[in-house]
Amino acid sequence: MRDLVFVAFLGLFFAAGFRRPFVFVLAYVYIDIVSPQRLTYYLLNAVPISAMAVALAIGAWAAVDDKSDTRMAPRQGLLAILLLYCWYTTINADFPVDALSKWEWVWKALAFAIFLPLTLRTKLRIEALLLFMILSAASIIIVGGIKTLGSGGGYGQLNLMVDNNSGLYEGSTISMVAIAIIPIILWFTRFGTIFVPDWRVKAFGFALIFACLLIPIGTSTRTGLLCIGLLAILLLRDTKRRILYLSLMAAIGIAAVPFLPSAFTERMGTIKTYQADASASTRLAVWQWTIDYVKDHPLGGGFEAYRQNKIRYDKVRLEGAPDNAVVDTQLEVDSGRAYHSAYFEMLGEQGYFGLALWLVIQVAGLFRMEVLRRRYAKEAGEFAWVAPLAAALQNAHFVYLLGAAFIAIAFQPFVYMLIGAQIGLDTYVARRRSETVWTGFGKRRSGTAPAPA
Amino acid sequence: MIDNFSLGLTHGLMLLAVWYLLKRPDLDREAGPRDDAAKPAKRQKWGRRDA
Repeated sequence: MRDLVFVAFLGLFFAAGFRRPFVFVLAYVYIDIVSPQRLTYYLLNAVPISAMAVALAIGAWAAVDDKSDTRMAPRQGLLAILLLYCWYTTINADFPVDALSKWEWVWKALAFAIFLPLTLRTKLRIEALLLFMILSAASIIIVGGIKTLGSGGGYGQLNLMVDNNSGLYEGSTISMVAIAIIPIILWFTRFGTIFVPDWRVKAFGFALIFACLLIPIGTSTRTGLLCIGLLAILLLRDTKRRILYLSLMAAIGIAAVPFLPSAFTERMGTIKTYQADASASTRLAVWQWTIDYVKDHPLGGGFEAYRQNKIRYDKVRLEGAPDNAVVDTQLEVDSGRAYHSAYFEMLGEQGYFGLALWLVIQVAGLFRMEVLRRRYAKEAGEFAWVAPLAAALQNAHFVYLLGAAFIAIAFQPFVYMLIGAQIGLDTYVARRRSETVWTGFGKRRSGTAPAPA
Repeated sequence: MIDNFSLGLTHGLMLLAVWYLLKRPDLDREAGPRDDAAKPAKRQKWGRRDA
């Protein structure tokens, strides 16, 4: 039954694409995030719907879309260099077969991030992209939120419809994404035009934000809790009544504690005693291994290079009363441990150059959004939505960069769509600005002398 | 049950959004500051029906 509904849904989606080609881009975004082929048992699994959507999106763009005012941003060039460089490290990888399987989805994420801004020619397209990213992620987040309310969840226990723990269905990743999209949801409750912000949109938006906040609790991920903390600080910048905001946040935080499931509070307690925790100790050991590894392999070991690591670390546990504790040190040996950090993932797999390039792409995104935030801060008319959207995309990016310190999500496709949206916004306002400047000259010419440009 | 509720809600909203997008001309083309001046010129060229 579910299969047929999905087929009908995708059928309508694709049919709409033939009326408005940009819908194909949205269809690819939806398929990439929700992976409907993994939620069904037959029909969709047999058809390469993702490849179809991307072929139609690029084909329609190449055939009919207006390309007269296309602008390329420097970051698209950087992404292209990263793509080529990853290809180079893949063919020289330490584990060629494993590297190739990661390359197969990484190149798509990067290539789509380069392509996406070319299609984002209008404000409505940027909004539609973000709306579909949020609604697609919401299909997972609402499930997680309701199940957390029902059962309390637990690390690796919250059933998010799919068992195979990949993409956004992975606990830590979805808790980072759920927190990162909160500022964008808030933007939609103020500036949306597809769903005009009335009481229904606001009610849905705030309910969805509540579900987003429940995801780190339901999945018991420490990363998610840190992301919530960071977001609370970041939102302070845009708050007019800061004292009210701070007291409200504190009140909500304190009021929420009794309702938190014990599985969550116990796991969060381990943030302080990380040395006694195998998960945290192995991370530190793997990171040390990575730093040593790139000293001998400055170009990195290609994708999946972590498989060769052999690490030894001391698990330190304090036993007894705090003032009279016995230090119990236990030597642990492990091999093939994953990076658990995007920064070290980039360092180990792509070397110094890959990490540097990746960091430039990330920091440039934060910087460009900062420029737009400031440039359009006082805008009240037609461009009033620009600064808040730039702020939302910047905050989402900050949350990602914090989450990325503890999860190996350097190539998470959702994030590259976010970067694509940033570039799209940037080129869109640059184009609109140049048009406005042009008419400004015309007006001035008839009146007073033109001011120096 | 919960899965189907969530999938139904979000997918319903996505279909509704696509429906709204189909009715929005500004999805593909925005009126730029120069467009207003260009339009009347086109009409003159082809003439009007009631002329």
